[in-house]
Amino acid sequence: MLELKELTKHFGEVKAADHISFQVGKGEIFGLLGENGAGKTTTLRLLATMLKPTFGTAAIAGYDLVKEPEKVRSSIGILFGGETGLYDRLTAAENIEYFGELNNMEKTKLKERVKELSEIFGMQEFINRRTGKFSRGMKQKVAFARSIVHNPDIMLFDEPTAGLDVSAIRDIHEFILDCKKDGKTIIFSSHTMSEVEKLCDKVGIIHKGKLADYGTIPELMAKYNEKSLEEVFIRLAGEKI
Amino acid sequence: MSWKHVWIVFKKEVKDMIRDKRTLISNILIPIILMPLLFTLMGGGIEKMEKDITENITVALAPSSNTEEMRNFAVNELFVDNPNIKLIEIEGDPVEAIRNDDVRFVLDIDENYIEKLENCQPYSVTVLYDQSDTKSGGSFGIVASAIEQYSQKVVAQRLVDMNIDLNILQPVQIQQSNAADEKGSGNMMLMMILPMLAAILIAVGGIPAATDLVAGEKERGTFEPLLTTQSGRMSILLGKYMTVTLFSIICVMAQLIGVFIGSIVSPGFLTMGGTGADLSFYIPPVALLLTVLITISLGMVFAGVQLAVSTYSRSFKEAQTYMSFLMIISMIPAYATMMMQPDDVQLYMFFVPLLNAIASLKMVLGNVINYTYLGIALATSVAYVFISLVLAASMFNKEKVLFRS
Repeated sequence: MLELKELTKHFGEVKAADHISFQVGKGEIFGLLGENGAGKTTTLRLLATMLKPTFGTAAIAGYDLVKEPEKVRSSIGILFGGETGLYDRLTAAENIEYFGELNNMEKTKLKERVKELSEIFGMQEFINRRTGKFSRGMKQKVAFARSIVHNPDIMLFDEPTAGLDVSAIRDIHEFILDCKKDGKTIIFSSHTMSEVEKLCDKVGIIHKGKLADYGTIPELMAKYNEKSLEEVFIRLAGEKI
Repeated sequence: MSWKHVWIVFKKEVKDMIRDKRTLISNILIPIILMPLLFTLMGGGIEKMEKDITENITVALAPSSNTEEMRNFAVNELFVDNPNIKLIEIEGDPVEAIRNDDVRFVLDIDENYIEKLENCQPYSVTVLYDQSDTKSGGSFGIVASAIEQYSQKVVAQRLVDMNIDLNILQPVQIQQSNAADEKGSGNMMLMMILPMLAAILIAVGGIPAATDLVAGEKERGTFEPLLTTQSGRMSILLGKYMTVTLFSIICVMAQLIGVFIGSIVSPGFLTMGGTGADLSFYIPPVALLLTVLITISLGMVFAGVQLAVSTYSRSFKEAQTYMSFLMIISMIPAYATMMMQPDDVQLYMFFVPLLNAIASLKMVLGNVINYTYLGIALATSVAYVFISLVLAASMFNKEKVLFRS
């Protein structure tokens, strides 16, 4: 479903992503674990075609990242952490429809899809209200719906729980697991061990732009003879103070 | 690039901007209200000043001249043909009275004026007034002219008494004739302020939209998800570009509506105290069309530059700071050419962005139309539109700029 081949991004002298290669199968959740500035966001931005790789490529849902960026974008949905990124002066429905239209959905199908998503996320009461005065939870539901309006096969989550409270984090975890249930392939970045352990089928530890190693959590613990993922992470990416 | 996506982005942005009260107030409401208000206040001020200068001119006699005989002389001889000049009584120091605004002029008439008049000798009338006061300065001409009229009357009487034809004093008669095109005259004020306002407003009208559409989106976190949709970057950029251009034009339209309302509410302002009937002019349709196109092109140039600046900015505030410089840049040529007359417009101006629109507007409003110059202005404007668009597109495609934050 998704295969990175020597994916590299340089910003001048800085190697933000350095020959990263891994594979994720259909319906799997892959966690990119790393400290701040390790290269997680750069890797996700490369996969989302927001950045052009300096070297290497990736095959996403059968499309080449470099040669077919528009087709790649039709197969991915993305959710960023922190701000939900909604248009305050548009209604929830208009926010979702805008992204549906830009993802080439037909108007009739889009209306049906918005209705369906409104039911899935329980947004019927506020779907036609402007999002500016929504609570954080309401905004999050709209952002979820927007990210999957075009029913992508692959979901990218960039530190989706950064700065959120416990209940919001729980909502996001449930959403990620629901996406998995729907057969979507998921890559998400995080620096929180507990959520990676809770959600991921596979974990890749990224450090200074390089993928130090990746595999299932038991595989990694066995390979490095450590008792927890945290210990593995410290061994591969920990910095001595 | 897909035109379908351009249209989707444009529709959404316009809807979004229309729902923004700040944009509506700054782009539409304020220009519509501000102009009539400005015209009323300034036009009213001009009319009042005109009235103050020409009506109720108060004159007093200096204590040394304040006799019954002198008062009669002033009322019945000097100012007999000027009912707007009123002789009043003052007490105390005449200089103080002028400074306190109790009287505008104090006359000190030669005490032997009757004797000198009879002996055909010149006598003096000293006019004391506050030369730093605009009203007094304006009225002085009326008082001086009244005294001059009296003087000429005396001369005429003397010549009649001597049986000499009055025409001997006037070997040459000056006749004034207006060479300006009737259709172009009478709108001096409009020629001064309209090009200036149009240039400034077309330059600044798109700023709220441009700031919000990229820097604002970056700050709110809506920009990155937008880049992950199937629409290409150029479609997004063009949709936003069209929105910024539209709001620049709307701003100028609102301003023109404001000027129109202002000219109805206070016609005296545009005609510098004249009647509204003076404000009639004719612009040939082709020249008008070319000027509109040049002005729209200027809006498109600024839309491109503003979007480039907004793309470069990390935040809304940073964009606003850069945009304020842009505003100043547009104001310099606009103010520098404010007093320029249509005849003074130089060829080089039609090659320079902003100046080309100002020069074109001045030309058509002054009815000094040169289609070659207008054509040059349009061609250069189109070239600048292209350059500004390339600049915006290059910014939009630069990863280092887009993801500066």
